Amino acid sequence: MVTADHYKFDLREFKFLLLEQFPLETLTQYKKYEHFTWDTAESVLEECIRFAQEVIAPLNASGDRTGCKLTEDGKVITPKGYKDAWNQFYESGWNMIPIPEEEDGMGAPALFVVTTNELFSGANTAFYMYPGLASGVQEVIEAVGTHDQKEKFLPGLRDGRYGGTMCLTEPQAGSDVGFSKSTAVPHEDGYLIEGTKIFISSGDQDLSENVIHLVLARLPDAQEGTKGLSLFIVPKYRLNDDGSAGAFNDVKVGGVEKKMGINSNATCVLNFGEDGGCLGYLIGEPHGGMKEMFRLMNYARIFTGVQGVSVASTAFLNALDYSRSRMQGSKLEDFGKGDAPRVPIIAHADIRRMLLEMKSKVETMRALCYKLAMHWDMSLCVEPGSDEEVYHKGQLELLTPVVKAFCTDQSFRVCELAIQTYGGYGYIADYPVEQYMRDAKVFSIYEGTNFIQSLDLVGRKLKLRKGANLIDFSSDIAKFCAKHGEHPVLKDEVAELELASNQLTGASMALMGFARKNINLVSLFATRYLEIMGEVACAWQGLEAAVIAHDKMQGLDDSDSDKHFYEGKIATAKFFVNNILPGVSVKCAVLSKGDDSAVTISEKAFSTEH
Amino acid sequence: MRIFVCVKAVPDTNANLKVGSDNLTINPQGVKYVMSPYDAVAASKAVELKAANEGSELIALSVGKDNKESRQRIKDALALGADRGVFIKDDAAHRDPLGVAKALVAAIKAEESCDLVFFGRQAVDTQASAVGPMVAQLLDIPFVMDCISLEIADGKATVKRSAEGRVETLEVSLPAAFSAQRGLAEERYAKLKDIMKAKKKPQADFDYAFPDAGYEVTAMTPPPERPAGKIVGEGPEAVGELLRLLQDEAKSLSF
Repeated sequence: MVTADHYKFDLREFKFLLLEQFPLETLTQYKKYEHFTWDTAESVLEECIRFAQEVIAPLNASGDRTGCKLTEDGKVITPKGYKDAWNQFYESGWNMIPIPEEEDGMGAPALFVVTTNELFSGANTAFYMYPGLASGVQEVIEAVGTHDQKEKFLPGLRDGRYGGTMCLTEPQAGSDVGFSKSTAVPHEDGYLIEGTKIFISSGDQDLSENVIHLVLARLPDAQEGTKGLSLFIVPKYRLNDDGSAGAFNDVKVGGVEKKMGINSNATCVLNFGEDGGCLGYLIGEPHGGMKEMFRLMNYARIFTGVQGVSVASTAFLNALDYSRSRMQGSKLEDFGKGDAPRVPIIAHADIRRMLLEMKSKVETMRALCYKLAMHWDMSLCVEPGSDEEVYHKGQLELLTPVVKAFCTDQSFRVCELAIQTYGGYGYIADYPVEQYMRDAKVFSIYEGTNFIQSLDLVGRKLKLRKGANLIDFSSDIAKFCAKHGEHPVLKDEVAELELASNQLTGASMALMGFARKNINLVSLFATRYLEIMGEVACAWQGLEAAVIAHDKMQGLDDSDSDKHFYEGKIATAKFFVNNILPGVSVKCAVLSKGDDSAVTISEKAFSTEH
Repeated sequence: MRIFVCVKAVPDTNANLKVGSDNLTINPQGVKYVMSPYDAVAASKAVELKAANEGSELIALSVGKDNKESRQRIKDALALGADRGVFIKDDAAHRDPLGVAKALVAAIKAEESCDLVFFGRQAVDTQASAVGPMVAQLLDIPFVMDCISLEIADGKATVKRSAEGRVETLEVSLPAAFSAQRGLAEERYAKLKDIMKAKKKPQADFDYAFPDAGYEVTAMTPPPERPAGKIVGEGPEAVGELLRLLQDEAKSLSF
């Protein structure tokens, strides 16, 4: 039996990030966030933790086992307890954390939103995707909706009467979203929407009285490709004047996918306008749908990275707990002595290797998410149009695909290591880690596959500002290395980081060369390039944490738990730099070689039997 | 109506407590503090009554060390719906229940009036169940322990309390004090909006010179380690023996 309290987190870690590595004080100096002190943050954090642990974590395994059901009359039934949890989520107002204070929200910076997202998502990933997507829809309508659209849709999205989804994928248009065929034809009350969307997360449910879909579709005069897509608000039920659900708006659930993980989130096939009665409302400019959808996508991509961290983190902490209690084998020194005492498996070197690999990946990735969040917040604090704003925005753009792809790829691998740490017990459903791994797989697929992220990085983000984003990134690292090059404990690791960062610059140049020579090579190496950048960025963030930890631990004695916490930070950074970062060197060498056998091999040569 | 709820900061019930190196106190390192769970039930009930009785004021009181963890309990109560908070600083390593009760009484008497005072049935750390009755005694008002339901009408309270093998119903004249058993109120989760509002609610310190307790804690030792578990057998045959052991040895079952 997976216990209801499967969810594990480390509060000291959040405090380290918000008070020491990325102090909230940096933000409270600015008008926008001056209200947001640690005091405020802490009391909300405590309640979020209670909600995460007491309300949604206990539903994680049961929801996974039950999954979502589709009734014969096309209604989606979510697992037991989800409706109450949804109600409680909105009664508590957890969706209002990022909403400005003057609109009854908390006006929290991204730094804090990242924290609470991790808590909710780690406690129950599939559940949190329901309010998570509704918040995304809320955000888009807030940003680009007309006054009337805001009045009409926001109140219900805010108080939990409406859920929300984003509808991009069609059977023939996945990563190739420009190939979407759904149509929108002008009608006296809006537009008539027609088409089929698939893989729609939170696509339908019995949690809220209505669902507000954001749908990409083509107007009659649209050109081909992504530039011909417009965005529409399409409610499941048309809204009465008081906002309550009125007539059915011809959005039918064609099916609920059976899948590997996130089973309690309904992944739906949605048929819009099968009977010609689906009304949608244009949001944003005609043919500007991708741009508007990207507001949601950017936000969603960052939080997909955070999802990755959240699941990886609880997987690691569960494996850690298990390794302390599972007795197996004796100490290596006692090998062969039958009567030697059994030891907990955390005493074994290979278990410790796995634990430290998990810890170092989880903590450095988490720090990278906070780094991105800090740039995001700062871009909103500094003078609009200033060089600083350009700098922070640039880093936000550059790091978004890295956070999305690197943190989710590694999340799956951390979960896999967690299972390995348990051994056979990790593979069975009595323990939570096998579910974590199943849940985590989708993170590298949805919100733009991780290859799409690497193309976004290489094809778009590197080119923005004539490459200045990458130059800023590298020079931030160079500054860090210059400052700490003589560090008493970490100087060797700082030197390794400097080397890896230079190799990243070299790899970037090589990639530019490929773009001119053979565009296939860019595709072949984009994923590895993103991984290089992820590893460099995480090593940097890990070392930054370690430098702070080293300063703070001076004078603390062994009875102080902080001393052990800080020691952990130093060990984490050293392990990452000495065991994971060296991969950068190899990958850069591979990249500069530019082997194109994967594209030159004939299709038949892959297998002659199939 | 003026309602008081007394709340206490206690280590989280999940916390792994260790006796400190002084052998006199709990080592606070890494221990998360929360509002004592029964106090949270009491606070939820008090909030309910305040909402049902227009014009009422709900004041949260707490005695504790002058630190964030203790002061946060007042904020918790404010976030649940109390109107204002009064904190009484007490930096003694241990404080006797009578001292706490006297301090609370002084703070209550400093207010204009008092109709209801709520406590949790016990603080989950010291488990003394002493402060509530002492406060009632010092205020010379009735006290009902372990309440599972409470209604106010016509200046009287109708209360149900659980006792061994029965539920008693009592009519109590006001002012009166009550301690909350689980079930007295649906436990509330603080809302984001209310946590934000709580920041702006008044919080005052009440200074109190504690009298000497007349006793002191001279040693603190961890409880003896639990003996290893025993497997009594397998399958249905083992049930009889298991019941016998639970009844006769562990004395955790009675028929």
